[in-house]
Amino acid sequence: MSTTRRSLMAGAAAIAATPFAARAQGANDLKGTTVVFASWGGAYQDAEKVSYCEPFAKATGATVVQDGPMNVAKFRAMAGSGSPDWDVVDVTGGFLEVAAKDGLLEKIDTKLVNVGRLDPRFVHEYGVGCIVWSYNLGYSTAAYANGAPTTWADLFDLKKFPGKRTVLDQPVASLEVALLADGVAPDKLYPLDVDRAFKKLDQIKAQTVFWTTNSQSQQLFVDREVTMGIILNGRVYDAAQKGAKIALSWEQNIQAVDYLVVPKGSKNRAAAMRLIDTMTMAENQTKVANLIAYSPTNLAAVKDVDPKVVPWLCTTPDNIAKGFVMSQLYWRDHLKDLTERWTAWKLA
Amino acid sequence: MEARLRLDRKAWLLLPAALTIGVAFLLPVGWLLSRAFTDPQPGFQNFELLWQRPVYMRVMGNTLWIAAIVTPVTVLLAFPVAHLMAHGSPQMRRWLIFLVLVPFWTSLLVRAFATAILLQRHGVINSFLLGFGIVEEPLPLLYNITGLLAGCVQVLLPFVIFPLYSSMARIDPAYMRAASTLGASPVRSFFRVYLPLTLPGLVTGATLVFVSTLGYYIIPAMLGGARQQMIAQLIQDQIATFGNWGVAGALSIVLLGATAVLLLLLQLTVGLKEIAR
Repeated sequence: MSTTRRSLMAGAAAIAATPFAARAQGANDLKGTTVVFASWGGAYQDAEKVSYCEPFAKATGATVVQDGPMNVAKFRAMAGSGSPDWDVVDVTGGFLEVAAKDGLLEKIDTKLVNVGRLDPRFVHEYGVGCIVWSYNLGYSTAAYANGAPTTWADLFDLKKFPGKRTVLDQPVASLEVALLADGVAPDKLYPLDVDRAFKKLDQIKAQTVFWTTNSQSQQLFVDREVTMGIILNGRVYDAAQKGAKIALSWEQNIQAVDYLVVPKGSKNRAAAMRLIDTMTMAENQTKVANLIAYSPTNLAAVKDVDPKVVPWLCTTPDNIAKGFVMSQLYWRDHLKDLTERWTAWKLA
Repeated sequence: MEARLRLDRKAWLLLPAALTIGVAFLLPVGWLLSRAFTDPQPGFQNFELLWQRPVYMRVMGNTLWIAAIVTPVTVLLAFPVAHLMAHGSPQMRRWLIFLVLVPFWTSLLVRAFATAILLQRHGVINSFLLGFGIVEEPLPLLYNITGLLAGCVQVLLPFVIFPLYSSMARIDPAYMRAASTLGASPVRSFFRVYLPLTLPGLVTGATLVFVSTLGYYIIPAMLGGARQQMIAQLIQDQIATFGNWGVAGALSIVLLGATAVLLLLLQLTVGLKEIAR
């Protein structure tokens, strides 16, 4: 009797000691489990489905159901109710910090998710980074044929680089850009000197069109409505692919991360964690980068990405060295007040 | 009396529509508005916040101001069209109704994009003006009040044209002839006879335009500029970005209150009965 028990215990210990990769091959042990994956829809979620969900389903026998789009109000209502419909959700870094503080998330189980595969900058106690994107200085190559702008300071130099500007219609990233342009070093940015940032932004306010959606930021360049501005790396890539005369600078690119999280009370917590583990594998992240040109959090994924896509990624060795990750913790505590101030500043 | 009674007995015919409105509109809207007083805790803290932070009331004022500009511009543009529709040849009327209805069937988003294409720096209008040397620099027509006005007015024109048309079509031409027989100049007979008779349609149309503009969200976001921030955008921000249903509810109540006060003023001056006629 006792021997059986002891051997069972030993068996359990052996399973616990098995490395992640080996255990992931324990095929079909999740047969009959259904995991609901929610993200932002469109081409991005399609890429995630092919790159994370399908390999996970194949390896474990689980069924993954796609849902979404991710919506803050919906997420809150679900996690607040204690029995969410979603098991794994793709959220922005900004929301991750808010949701972690409000107790809406399950802690990442590092016994089930091999977070060691990722760059530590993209790992959080309550979420695991899946893609990185960056705010860059984008410019029209037609307007600045004799010398391209390279730094955030150039965005504010209307004499040397005349032309309309575009800035995102929110304080997040815009205030950072203003301070960087004014000479503040990235490691001295937070807490932001808000007065100084708004004063700097005053310099270009009259020349600026504010964008509210990413597609709009892209369209403004395509329509030659603006010649320079703050824009996401993926959007410059997309516009350039479609033939727009646009380029970007990687100087002091401001990086932001999307995370996979598990809402508090998920009925399939363990399976959800294992789906997240599948996401951290380099070969799966390579697939996403090839499909939609979003940058991997597992830096080993970069080397196998299509060479045509690589220069547009913000987590290549060069670009990651030039950039820094935005402090979502700062924005968690200041977004409300600074959004009010942003609106007031625009109206003034 | 007899007929009225029989109709009242058929009041159950209202049931499907009433249920739909109750479940799909009154319930959720009531729920949102009630959160203004209950979220995060019972009390008036959300209204206090709106009062303490000047930006909210400024945006509210901004919204009313924009609606107050859009309304007369739309009415002035709609008036001659409705007039032609009511008093022109039947063929002219058919064409005009068709032309006014076509954009009415088109998605709001598509029309906003179309307006942007027309007004942008390298758009149709600016290319024309530059090409003929009328201007040297492209005119700033987009991402400012001009773009916003163009967008709102073109979308809302049918809402004035049709009520005006129905009022005008009912005006007996004999009234105008009588006025001129009695010695009134065309201008005088227009202002003393014709215009007052169009008032019910005009006021209905103007009210629709004003109230619709107050709630606009897509048009100011796509065609307006930094200064054309409107209240619906703030409500959306509060819900989508901050999950702050309380403040969103309070903003909605302020908007609803402002609209109700305006309709009340209208009732007192022109009379809603007049409009319903």
